Amino acid sequence: MLSRTAQGLYWMSRYVERAENNARLLDAGRRIEGLPGAEAAGNTEWPSIIIAAGCRETFGEGLEEADREKATYHLAFDQENSSSILSCFHAARENARAMRGAITSEVWTAINSTWAEFRTKTMADVDERRYVDFIETVLASSFTFRGAINSTLLRDERQWFIELGKHIERADATARLLDVKYHVLLPKADEVGAGLDLLQWQQILRAANALRAFRHVYREQISAPRVVDLLVVNSQSPRSLRYSYEAICDNLDNIGVHTKAQRVVADIARENRDKLRTADAHSIIDYGLHEWLTDMIVATNELANTLGESYGFFSQVDRDATEEDAADASNIEVCAP
Amino acid sequence: MVAYYDEMKDRAGIKPAYADVAEWAKATTAEDLRLRQNEAEGLFRRNGITFAVYGEGGDPERLIPFDLMPRVFSSSEWDVIERGSIQRARALNAFLTDVYGKREFIKAGKIPARLVEGNPAYEPIMQGIQPVGDIFSHIIGVDLVRTGPDEFNVLEDNCRTPSGISYVLQNREVMQRIMPSMFRSGQVRPVDHYGDMLAAAMQSVAPDDCDGRPTLAILTPGHYNSAYFEHSFLADIMGIELVEGQDLFVENDMLFMRTIRGPERIHVLYRRIDDAFLDPEAFNPDSMLGVPGLMRAYAAGGVTIVNAPGAGVADDKATYVYVPEMIRFFLGEEPILPNVETWQCADESECKYVLDNLSELVVKEVHGSGGYGMLIGPKSTKAEIEKFEGLIKANPGNYIAQPTLALSTVPSLSEEGLAPRHVDLRPFVISGKGKTELIPGGLTRVALREGSLVVNSSQGGGVKDTWVLRGDRL
Repeated sequence: MLSRTAQGLYWMSRYVERAENNARLLDAGRRIEGLPGAEAAGNTEWPSIIIAAGCRETFGEGLEEADREKATYHLAFDQENSSSILSCFHAARENARAMRGAITSEVWTAINSTWAEFRTKTMADVDERRYVDFIETVLASSFTFRGAINSTLLRDERQWFIELGKHIERADATARLLDVKYHVLLPKADEVGAGLDLLQWQQILRAANALRAFRHVYREQISAPRVVDLLVVNSQSPRSLRYSYEAICDNLDNIGVHTKAQRVVADIARENRDKLRTADAHSIIDYGLHEWLTDMIVATNELANTLGESYGFFSQVDRDATEEDAADASNIEVCAP
Repeated sequence: MVAYYDEMKDRAGIKPAYADVAEWAKATTAEDLRLRQNEAEGLFRRNGITFAVYGEGGDPERLIPFDLMPRVFSSSEWDVIERGSIQRARALNAFLTDVYGKREFIKAGKIPARLVEGNPAYEPIMQGIQPVGDIFSHIIGVDLVRTGPDEFNVLEDNCRTPSGISYVLQNREVMQRIMPSMFRSGQVRPVDHYGDMLAAAMQSVAPDDCDGRPTLAILTPGHYNSAYFEHSFLADIMGIELVEGQDLFVENDMLFMRTIRGPERIHVLYRRIDDAFLDPEAFNPDSMLGVPGLMRAYAAGGVTIVNAPGAGVADDKATYVYVPEMIRFFLGEEPILPNVETWQCADESECKYVLDNLSELVVKEVHGSGGYGMLIGPKSTKAEIEKFEGLIKANPGNYIAQPTLALSTVPSLSEEGLAPRHVDLRPFVISGKGKTELIPGGLTRVALREGSLVVNSSQGGGVKDTWVLRGDRL
């Protein structure tokens, strides 16, 4: 397969995944906003949602005052923000169009219809009453796209690069989501199980589409170690870091190593995967959840960069997976309660 | 008032080939027809079958209008078109082989040498190059018009990179969805083996040093090109790579593409970019679209280029008048599909005739295309005619003239329901080593504006599905 094709498919997939993640984050913000006591706690959710989306820099000044409207505009509609949902769908569609010969008409139709539907959407489409509709439409579009890939694309390099893009983006998103909310997860002796924390954990799980999964897996009350377990080390949860890295390694194995540089990529991926295989929630929390997640964000970023170089991708700016941004997440205190 | 030939009905009534279609149209309400028309357009939009018109602004991804009333040919009608188009393609390839080889046609005085060598499409670099199988133009679009029951004329040949085949296949796809009952009898001959036919032809002309299965690829200028949809569509139906100049390089007189596994050799390249942009070393040095060294590799026999550079010398409007003679000279046959009578303004007496009869004639630029730069005498104002008079006198060699043809009509959906609209036809002839063939069908273009004779999509033209029947009726 052409290197340019691999690159286009990989980014097409990353952008759709990013749009989906943004929609989940907006949904989490909306839910947390409505929680009892949220207002008293200073309503800091929207700034942290923006940071979790990796959009602190593009948002610019006034992050602390970000409210639902501002956050929604920036994460969903702002065309200046290359990671907004609209920008992502547009970029995914442009990549698909450039790679039209490499995807099936079903995959093309899925992404092309999505763009046709979203290109005209504005803030007017996310008023109070239709906010959830909007979120659900984004998710449904992503599912249709994945479904088309799953049912119609040959299991060959094209699919493997698409899967790589999805899981690298997802690993990054899950790590960020946890990192931004890690303060909620940290055990506070006097507050364990207190109302607001419990509800916030629930929202984190929802944002990762994992609340039901949590109940199935643990059949117990939500607690910090269990949340970390489900989203980091659990091998069955489709949005856990472990799951993403297993998939990254499988797909890299399928693609195969043809050069020395490609060997380095495989090694980085395996190293991260092995770390996730042996880790457990308690040791991660003991090590320092934030530090551990920062390491993972940086490592994922390094993986993405070396992957692009070694398979001959042309340079393409990815605004949000930078080390600087990972450092951003560590400044969470400014907007923590 | 000229009487136009209506392809659906003649004096005896509805023709058998159209009987079922006419009945269907009659039984379908105007409202329903429009609904189906909208459904068809939605399908095109969803599939991304769009084209761009350069320099006009507006939506960069425009839909080519699709008319749901099909154009139908009985098998006996098609037989003439098929044999005639194949004959034409064989003669054109023989002519190209001769132009860049022995030049017997010129030596025999059949065509003036200056028309060949002075032609902008003539590529001196091709002199002495012998493409595999003596095929220069592997895909030829033959533009046909019809003026009566048995009167088919060739209006133009397209030997460079004729486009439109994707519409042929997609039109059929859409028709099978919105009019399924018409296909149940199995009388409409399928067209979807085009990809296999083209791939087989391309494989047959792979370089001699290729052992095993040749690797094929399509070279596109990129996804901002107006015909990009077609390029990717073709790559898709043949299961081959769609490459851009940046993906390719030449080494040891062989062509390679950059893949995730490293360089991979390409044996046959179907290029959809113009000669001038193919290779900055050989042609336009500023081209970013092509591949440096490609012509070197081609001349050395390391890669086959489809269609060959310089093939345009055969499809020029000035060369056009000599095609019937090519058929006689190279094939020893009489032309099955005649040309349209053509006056060349380069010839003094013919030019005089043209100038005296401008209001009756169609005048075209010799190297123009796309329906631009032409005069349709009967439909022009006095001022327009005078303007052309000046243009012709200033540069007679740049113009030819033809009678205004009474193009046949096929019923089409208009604001007022079904109404006759003028059509033409472009079948696509594929030539491989020792084999020239075409799919039963082609691109029917329709002038959707009432009374218009210009079918080009850039001038308000649309497309129709073209049905070739197994027998004489559905």
